Amino acid sequence: MTGYLARRNPTVKLALLFAVSLATFFLFDPVTPAVLYLLALAAIVIGARPEPRALAAAHLPLLAFALGILMVNALSRPGTVLWQAGAARVTVEGLEVGAALGARALLIGILSFGFVVCTDAVALLTSLYQHARLNERVCFALVAGYRMLQQLGGEWEVIRYAQRVRAPLGRHGQPKAGPARFGLAAFALLVMMVRRGERVAQSLEARGLGRGARTVWRPVPLTSHDGWFAVAVLGGVALTIGVSVLAGVARGPSALFGG
Amino acid sequence: MPASHPTVTDPVVQLTEVTVHTPRRPAPLLHTVTLSIAPGERMLLLGTSGAGKSTLLHTISGGIPHSVNADLSGQVLVNGRDTSASTVVDIAMTVGVLGQDPSSSVTMSQVDQEVAFPLENQGVPAAEITGRVQEALSLVGAAHLAGRGTSTLSGGELQRVALAGTLVGRPAVLLLDEPTAMLDAHGVTMVRAAVAAAGVDGAAGTAPAVVLVEHRLDELAGPAGLAGLPPRTVLLGDGGVVLADGPTVAVLKEQAATLHRAGCWLPLEAELWAVAPAVGPDDAETAPGPDDESAGRGGAPIADVRGLALLDSFAAPSGAAATLRATPTPGRTLLEGTGLSVSRDRVRRRTARRPGPRILLRDVDIRLTAGEIVAVLGANGCGKTSLLLTLAGLVDPAAGRIEGQRPGLVFQNPEHQFLRHTVAEEIGYGLPGSAADRAGIVAHRLAGHRLEHLADQNPHRLSGGEKRRLSLAAMLAHDRPVLLADEPTFGLDRRDTLATATALTEAAATGRGILFSSHDLRFVAALADRLLVLGDGRLLADGPIEAVLADADLLRTAGLTLPPLVSWLLHRHPGALRRTLHRLDTAPAVDPVPAVVS
Repeated sequence: MTGYLARRNPTVKLALLFAVSLATFFLFDPVTPAVLYLLALAAIVIGARPEPRALAAAHLPLLAFALGILMVNALSRPGTVLWQAGAARVTVEGLEVGAALGARALLIGILSFGFVVCTDAVALLTSLYQHARLNERVCFALVAGYRMLQQLGGEWEVIRYAQRVRAPLGRHGQPKAGPARFGLAAFALLVMMVRRGERVAQSLEARGLGRGARTVWRPVPLTSHDGWFAVAVLGGVALTIGVSVLAGVARGPSALFGG
Repeated sequence: MPASHPTVTDPVVQLTEVTVHTPRRPAPLLHTVTLSIAPGERMLLLGTSGAGKSTLLHTISGGIPHSVNADLSGQVLVNGRDTSASTVVDIAMTVGVLGQDPSSSVTMSQVDQEVAFPLENQGVPAAEITGRVQEALSLVGAAHLAGRGTSTLSGGELQRVALAGTLVGRPAVLLLDEPTAMLDAHGVTMVRAAVAAAGVDGAAGTAPAVVLVEHRLDELAGPAGLAGLPPRTVLLGDGGVVLADGPTVAVLKEQAATLHRAGCWLPLEAELWAVAPAVGPDDAETAPGPDDESAGRGGAPIADVRGLALLDSFAAPSGAAATLRATPTPGRTLLEGTGLSVSRDRVRRRTARRPGPRILLRDVDIRLTAGEIVAVLGANGCGKTSLLLTLAGLVDPAAGRIEGQRPGLVFQNPEHQFLRHTVAEEIGYGLPGSAADRAGIVAHRLAGHRLEHLADQNPHRLSGGEKRRLSLAAMLAHDRPVLLADEPTFGLDRRDTLATATALTEAAATGRGILFSSHDLRFVAALADRLLVLGDGRLLADGPIEAVLADADLLRTAGLTLPPLVSWLLHRHPGALRRTLHRLDTAPAVDPVPAVVS
């Protein structure tokens, strides 16, 4: 993880993600969120340098989701009929609102993707403890949970092997598989993780977590750079919305009611 | 000085008439235990499984009565404070605990963060933490690991990091609960050195008092033999009562037969005392001194001359060794791998952008015939488990081919294998045939592996030895011609280890081929007919036990270390290794004759 965005404070990044998402909740024209999406995409490509494959892969579900929103709105919203075939009809208002909501989904999606690729999970939790006063028990239980998550793949693989070696053979000589067996293995994994979780909780307590007044050995830095970063992001969003309002493009929630 | 600070002569741990009950069992886990431990004192805690060793550690750490659902009567003082009136978190300031499974005790993803964590919780100033983290890591010989991710460490490395994380808080008491149970020989050596270093007063302050629970006493004691063990031993008997408390050598001398019969591992000296009480020095307390390193006694595994003579007599060809299994004549081939390359990466078609899989082993030729028992040896990470998975048909070979019928495989951690809610259902899982056939097989296996009384229990609630017996029973229930087993004796006590050896021997006697991996060279030497040694990414050797084990260069390349007993027998009684070990394993314990006071 390198690049400008990776060096920013995780709590600041998380707060900005929420703030920008919240701001788009009041935008119901397709253009403003689409512009914001393009700006966010550019900023993430430059500031976090994600692998092109990962970026493309992240877009697949986002695009499907956005398309779904567009279709539902276009087909279900009342208004000026643009196209009709039998009971199915597409309205202008439906298309506009659908495109707006779809673009919003893309924007929030790409911001979340950008956040994940440039943020270390442990640094995030440490920072949330330091800067957002997250409870230390919650915070370090999550840190320990993160380590358990890293081990999950290996445990799952071994459980599936252990199951396959005893499974009866199917018609083609392959061990039988199926949803029931998958469920059994998932349950076995769950049992193991619960038991391990118990031990981890005991271990955290035995090392004095929750005594109060703890120090942070290697604090996650919160610098003036983070302040300027927040100003730039919020300023950029405000500017985009301002221009859009002045140009008469922006529309508020009234768009929902044909206003 | 505040009243809570004890003076130097006060015990750091004081248990008075401590009795522990759980709601689920009528009998107490500990019964009127009275015990005191001086600052810096080192104590070995012995007892059969279920005698209350872990319970005693829990009462000192405050887990009982605070975290575990159990009633405690009597008084437990740690550093002068009553544990019932403190919290676990407060007691943690004084008591450090190191358990057997570092993968669940290590909770951070970076080594240095892991070691710093207890200090952060204590509110130690950040500037001071850096120095103390380095100091604790250096103490256990792990300074070079500081910047590593914890998920990249071997078991031995991880356990040392966990120990550093325990010592960094400068505890007054250190509780070690089978710290080497899950480690290979190299890992045990690492942990032994680290524990020894932790026990020396140094820059880190006064050495903590140590309470050690350990199965593998010979390995942990190392070349110093009995002198390498804590000088004091407390023995817990059934029902959680203190049976003996005194100097280690004296307690072992007196209780060797009892412990041996109960299925405990003993240091070799004590194992010989158990089967022949006349062996050993008359004044046990002046027995092997700290200078009796193996180098100084001609490579002999013990200093005790009469014990060596007993081993010599076991090696003699005469005598009844009727139960000793003869090396089988090669039968028909059951499983054959030719030109195998082993990899854990999914084998897919190679493309320009996709590099080939990472190969762990190349050009391996393996043949397993009916009735033979073959052991696979090699250092941690050499590919033993991956080879077994490949032979079992669970992982595709990156090259080469495997011929033979579908083998069975018993996994290293039995918990990975459990898919059902009761022991009986677990054995029946995946069995072919009619319901009546399956019930018959299950009943047969329950009886054959001492599991009948546990048939309705949840597999996860069993003890370590019971879990292992179940995993073996569940696989043997499938009548496969080849049985593969990954570390089948890991973490077992003496009785369960011998029971596993018997189960594998019986399976071989019915014409099965057995191939197992192990770190326990004494177990391997007593059981296997043939050895495969892995190292350097290939099969280094394939041959009869003694020929392979006597090849010092080979062992060095493979990173293997012979236990002193095996090494000595190879030199002194070539050709008699298996016979001698078998007699030692099967010799019954004999109670010592009480000394007549004249």
